[in-house]
Amino acid sequence: MPKIERREFLKLVGAGSVGVGAGFMLRETIKHPPEYLIPHVVAPEDFSTGIATWYNTVCSMCSAGCGISVRTREGRAKKIEGNPNHPVSQGKLCGLGQSGLQVLYNPDRLTGPLQRMSARGGETFEQITWNEGLSRVADRLDLLRAAGRGNRICLLSQGVGGHLAQLFELFMAELGSERLLHYDYDHPHTLYAANRQFFGEEHLPYYDLKNTRYLLSFGADYLGNWISPVHHSLGFGHSRQGRPDIRGRFVQIEPRMSMSGAAADEWIAAKPGTEGVLALGLAHHLITQGYYQGADLDAWRQALRDYTTTQVAEQTGVATTTITRLANTFARSQSSLAIGGGIAANHSNGVDTLVAVNALNYLVGNLGKEGGLLFNPEPAGSVSHPRQASFRTMLKLAKDAREGNIEVLILNGTNPAFTMPAAAGFTEALSEIPLIVSLSSFMDETTALADIILPSHTYLESWGDDFPEPGVGFPTGAVSQPVVSPLYNTRATGDIILTLAQHSGLSDAIPWNSMEDCLKDGWREIYERADEETRTESFEVFWRSMLKAGVWGEKSQRDQTFTLAEGVIDNIGVAPPEFSGSPDDYPFVLHPYISNSFHDGRGANLPWMQELPDTMTSVVYGSWVELNPVTAEGLGLKEGDLVDIESPHGRVRAPVYVYPAIMPDVVAMPIGQGHSTYGRYAKDRGVNPIEILSAQMEPHTGSLASSATRVKIVATGKRVELIKTGGTSRDLGREIVQRFDPTAQSKTGGAHSTQLNSIPITTVTT
Amino acid sequence: MSIFERFTEGWKKYRKPGYYREFDYHWAMTIDLDKCTGCEACVTACKAENNLPIVGEEEFAKGREVQWIRIERYWEGEYPNVKLGFIPMLCQHCDAAPCETVCPVSATYHNQDGLNTQIYNRCIGTRSCAVYCPFEVRYFNFNDHHWDSPLDQQLNPDVTVREKGVMEKCTFCIQRIRQAKDDAKDDGRRRVRDGEVQPACVQSCPSNALVFGDRKDPDSQVAKSMKDPRAYRVLEELNTDPSVVYLKKVDAKG
Repeated sequence: MPKIERREFLKLVGAGSVGVGAGFMLRETIKHPPEYLIPHVVAPEDFSTGIATWYNTVCSMCSAGCGISVRTREGRAKKIEGNPNHPVSQGKLCGLGQSGLQVLYNPDRLTGPLQRMSARGGETFEQITWNEGLSRVADRLDLLRAAGRGNRICLLSQGVGGHLAQLFELFMAELGSERLLHYDYDHPHTLYAANRQFFGEEHLPYYDLKNTRYLLSFGADYLGNWISPVHHSLGFGHSRQGRPDIRGRFVQIEPRMSMSGAAADEWIAAKPGTEGVLALGLAHHLITQGYYQGADLDAWRQALRDYTTTQVAEQTGVATTTITRLANTFARSQSSLAIGGGIAANHSNGVDTLVAVNALNYLVGNLGKEGGLLFNPEPAGSVSHPRQASFRTMLKLAKDAREGNIEVLILNGTNPAFTMPAAAGFTEALSEIPLIVSLSSFMDETTALADIILPSHTYLESWGDDFPEPGVGFPTGAVSQPVVSPLYNTRATGDIILTLAQHSGLSDAIPWNSMEDCLKDGWREIYERADEETRTESFEVFWRSMLKAGVWGEKSQRDQTFTLAEGVIDNIGVAPPEFSGSPDDYPFVLHPYISNSFHDGRGANLPWMQELPDTMTSVVYGSWVELNPVTAEGLGLKEGDLVDIESPHGRVRAPVYVYPAIMPDVVAMPIGQGHSTYGRYAKDRGVNPIEILSAQMEPHTGSLASSATRVKIVATGKRVELIKTGGTSRDLGREIVQRFDPTAQSKTGGAHSTQLNSIPITTVTT
Repeated sequence: MSIFERFTEGWKKYRKPGYYREFDYHWAMTIDLDKCTGCEACVTACKAENNLPIVGEEEFAKGREVQWIRIERYWEGEYPNVKLGFIPMLCQHCDAAPCETVCPVSATYHNQDGLNTQIYNRCIGTRSCAVYCPFEVRYFNFNDHHWDSPLDQQLNPDVTVREKGVMEKCTFCIQRIRQAKDDAKDDGRRRVRDGEVQPACVQSCPSNALVFGDRKDPDSQVAKSMKDPRAYRVLEELNTDPSVVYLKKVDAKG
């Protein structure tokens, strides 16, 4: 080993150190700075994200029947999105639909069969086994059937479609009962009736928003909750900016601006219940200005003689110039479309109003035309509409119950104790029924009255199918399949019915062992109906491909010709609406509206929906009452002041929200809160305005005239802080939401200079 | 390439302001206010995708909610000539972001795809970024959040759950971008195709008001949409150079 001097050694060490230092510094300089900043966020090279499994099924949060795709990982559902193949949702989905996950994973779900241990009104239940529960119910059904008293059994379900509805039909027929009812608070009875009267159609038509150029909506909140909001939104987007050089224009006529009113180009407030009169005023203008030249012109002229522009302006409170302008634009923009529903239909003259809206479409030739109203083919497998219970039918049921004519009530998913006005006395009538069985997944207000609870799977755990109503112009349907294995000791509704049928010895008529078999048999029929050429080689192949795609459809167009039903023109006319309560005692008309988050109250147990700011007011976690700013000032009320809203039938207490777009003599309240049970997120939160509604009906259909109650506002002197997002509701010159004037010449984008920025965001074209 | 070349190359590339513009992607979004209906499907989609906490009534009342995307509403005029304008507000992924310069620990930075990104485990919770953000889209976790069992089963395994003391905000669904890049790589492609990646909000929008994509690709839908004469950016005068471009609501007369 060579001898190293001390001096040399130090030199080497020094040089080495300098070398290492310089090398280190060089390396540090070359190194990518992001590596410095982000060691933790860039995933390592071998990191790979998991692979999700998607199942296509059908949403059951409302009756629109959107196809959904559920993303699952390791057997857990993670996210719900729209099924891109499905013609209704086309890959899109509303907030409530996406919250279906919280139905599945709700901490307050019923986990197994229960039986009541206390008198009705208390909530003491004891766990039982499925066998105990099912045989108790089946024994009673058997007894009644054997005694020929099968008609004393009532099955009251939420609106269900497809083969589950058919199974219900079969089951009840075998038991010898006629009392099979589907009940939804917001079922559009008046719309069905008006269309039957006008065109003799049993099914809802397709409203072609996508291709329309001018839409008049009479009270229908088509973007919020009216029959098929997701599909309407798709059409709305396309109509607005999806076509080159054509921008659809939208006009909303309603006393309180809804979400659709905010999206519209023009919001017009007509006096509550006079929307139909306004429609006939427009029709009168169309006739007198010669826009209509049909053979029945004289009949129309005769029928509409009392709806001159001045008379209509006086009745509706809409200016004559507005009436003529709307009518002219409606006639000149082809295609135009008039729709009606929602608040306009919830009056004592609801059907007449919607007939008047149909008349508008008829007079300018929008029927059976692209961009107008298209008739739908018969759905491939739907439940007949008369099964839908109107308010009058529900009152009859209550009466039957009081008279002791109902011995067993089977409830499936519907919550009439919450969605029926207290004035109807429905809840009290229920207590007269000796045996109430609920198949609900949650302890809702009606289930809390049940004697036996046989909790069903949620829709994400069950088999089923759905044929969307309204349809999309061609026959279509979708199968819903379980996306996760059942969480709890629950069973699918169909399977519960099948087991009850087996217990009662009805297996000959109802031969299936499971809902899946029942469904497959039903779809085999649809498969066999298709012609030989287009059919897949076997049913199994068809079935599997359908489960994969999540949807089935047939290419066929319906003939769009139609004849006006007899006597329509002579009977046209809209009577003034009737209200309960005198205007002197009760100066305001109460407008309870379906909330986008909670629908008819079913969404109130979903924390996402509780925490989703209301679209129009941004309020969360509670109820409020909307007052016009002038009205509020007149009453000396400010936002957050607690008031009693008092009708002839009761009162509820809620804080004031000063709402800039509501008529001064109308007050509005959202439906959905005010549950007395229904889980930790819903219980004891807000109030339910349905409670104080009068039991007033639309006479043709017997549906509840929910906007026909007058109320008064009584200040309590107390205050609460409304929980909402954001501060001021005004722009204050910040130009956050900017508007574009299409008629202006200069087409530069941006209110501020684009020169400041490194990337110009607009191209200047003149 | 010699070390010297690499050095100069790297220096040029990374030391230039806006260096990320030289990279493969520059993610951007356009929001058409003429199509937006304010339905809040995007808000719910974001909650589901990104494991946003349910804060509860009390915390919400204190303004401690977490909504990476929210709908703002501005009334104009008085009854009866009143209008309501909705605008979805989310992190604007500013290319000159004030939040990035203020962070004392560099927990928020600009990544090479032009995203403004938050590093949760570096954040010390000074909340300066939230103060600096003119769009008020940064949300602070004042508490550890709890999901009532079995609600925790719905949590997205691709996204972390943030804890107390950490700032969070919209990521343009970076997990989806990463997934799309991985898929493209597996496919033997260098680039993600237009439309292959959509954040949850864009995916869910029922009226197709939101468009997302790579604005460096001139053929992408978002790049075309940004050229619309209606395009503007919120609070443009602050010159933060946002990557979210809004298309004005059309004010139809008569």
